[in-house]
Amino acid sequence: MLARPRLALSRDVAQAAYRLLAAALLCAMLAMLSDVFLTTSNIFNVLRQTSLLFLMASGLTLVILTAGLDLSVGANIGLSACLAATAIKGADSPMLGVATGIGCGALIGLANGILVTALRIPSFIATYGVMWMLAGMTYYYMAGDTIHGFPPGFRQLGSGYLLGVPMPVYVMLVFLLIGTLFAQRTTWGQQIYAIGANPVAARLSGVPVERRLILVYTVSGAMAGLASLIVLARINSAQGDIGEDLTLPAIAAVLVGGTSLFGGYGTVAGTLIGALILTLVLNGMNLLQINSSWQPLVTGVIILLAVWIDNRTRRIGE
Amino acid sequence: MKHLLISATAVLTMLFSGAALADGETIAVFTKNQTNPYFQAVRVGSETAAKSLGVKVIQYIPTKPDSIPEQLSQVEDVIVKKPDAIVFIPVDYKAMVPAVEKINAAGIPVVNITDRSAAGKFVAFVGADDYSIGLATARALLKAIGGKGNVIILEGVKGSLTNTDRVRGFNDALKESPNVKLLASQPANYQRLQALQVMENLMQSFPSIDGVLAANDPMAVGAIEALEGANRKARVIGINGSKEAVELIKAGKLLASGDFNGFIQGCVGTEIAVRSLRKQPTPNEVILKPIVIDSTNLTPYETPVEQRACPTLEQIVSN
Repeated sequence: MLARPRLALSRDVAQAAYRLLAAALLCAMLAMLSDVFLTTSNIFNVLRQTSLLFLMASGLTLVILTAGLDLSVGANIGLSACLAATAIKGADSPMLGVATGIGCGALIGLANGILVTALRIPSFIATYGVMWMLAGMTYYYMAGDTIHGFPPGFRQLGSGYLLGVPMPVYVMLVFLLIGTLFAQRTTWGQQIYAIGANPVAARLSGVPVERRLILVYTVSGAMAGLASLIVLARINSAQGDIGEDLTLPAIAAVLVGGTSLFGGYGTVAGTLIGALILTLVLNGMNLLQINSSWQPLVTGVIILLAVWIDNRTRRIGE
Repeated sequence: MKHLLISATAVLTMLFSGAALADGETIAVFTKNQTNPYFQAVRVGSETAAKSLGVKVIQYIPTKPDSIPEQLSQVEDVIVKKPDAIVFIPVDYKAMVPAVEKINAAGIPVVNITDRSAAGKFVAFVGADDYSIGLATARALLKAIGGKGNVIILEGVKGSLTNTDRVRGFNDALKESPNVKLLASQPANYQRLQALQVMENLMQSFPSIDGVLAANDPMAVGAIEALEGANRKARVIGINGSKEAVELIKAGKLLASGDFNGFIQGCVGTEIAVRSLRKQPTPNEVILKPIVIDSTNLTPYETPVEQRACPTLEQIVSN
């Protein structure tokens, strides 16, 4: 039972294609309205912004596939970024900073996993509690201060280019590949879908549910830690509130990307498209200079429109 | 005998009030959040003033930044604990009015600082107005670019009082420079990452940008990083006079930052609260003059707030 039927896999692929259509329609609309939208420079600009949102949302996708939720992603980025910044500045070692950021993120994820499995606290509440704890620790640690000015080598991770393509875009593609291969081609990945689809059946058929859940929360935490490094490298500074507004967009990217909040259904590639759609909305509003009073309304309308187009086309496709 | 009794009572009263003074009155200080360095400066200011005046300060900060329900419940707690006076920054100038009315009903004297409450009885208001700071800081940028060229405004949180007034100040400064073109005015919600991304997007549309007016320092930092990332140059100003801004001005990356002087607001607010308790005369309004920190007047700001001394009320009022 572990390998899902072939049909489900191809349905996922078809679904991702329809979602891509929604993103393409948005692009076509923006290309008509703005003459700079389709320039190479803007395309890489959008992709670089997408990559940060994707990295935050990619690990979260696995959590949501198990019908769980990780509300601590933003707060995790906040604490991981501040600790990593301290390591980079204090020990003058970008490598130590990278290890600190990812390590801190993974430990937070592990804690979430333990709360959800060993203590059986529903993931929404467990990660909500952890979110507050992390925010408190970060504020206490930073005491309203900021850390800024990182070495150029480290900044390459966020603002550098390789062969004309922004560095974060490579990071995004690597994790898109790893995430897709892991979710679709490994037993563990298939077990994650099985847990989301029906946890009781998964347990009865021998899936080590607790261990897999701990894994997905740890991965989500580690990805938040990695994202925190990109944030640091991009903005060249760390402040206590750095991750504050990041959780909801990450969850939205996963859901706009077609992963079901009830678990068992969705793909990491879909999340990439979700992140792309959300990024295009901001890019489009800036390029078209939508008045700031209208921006929240426009954001809401476009997100709903994208999901609606996707639902329509999927129904026609089936 | 009777005389003796009276003088003994007088001595006792004196001793008692002396003891009360040494123990120190308790002042509750309300700030909006733990993340913005501005409020940290307010807290340090209040504590510096408290130390020199011999009073005790208790800080009340919502754990969720700018949370209205949390500050409401903190006010309710404080009314039960009955401090001698309160120094108050409402997280929202309208939503906190009922809380202020409760403080008034409990008879605790309260000094309003930074954001002016829409209603309620206060001993005094101490603040710097956002509009004048926005105007003065924008003028500094327009002067630096020679009164001509293209500029961008990065707005803060839509609907917040500070943002509305700062951006109005920016726009009024722009009206004085007819040769400066406002290319775009877009929101980045006071956040540095959002400012970075908005700036990256705007640079796609505009090949030539000479100046960026950011409604706070973190957004100015985001804009600077976006410009550097694209190998482009523009003069950038922010508002808050934060430590980070001071360092960036010194490094020549930031042109100027409008100073709100949270430290002095904390000092003066606390001093007025204590003076009113001790029945000393107090002003009912202190509006600090806008100060634009740039490379010419940087030195005093390089001292960390923890090591600064509070100015006396006389120095401030006579300014």
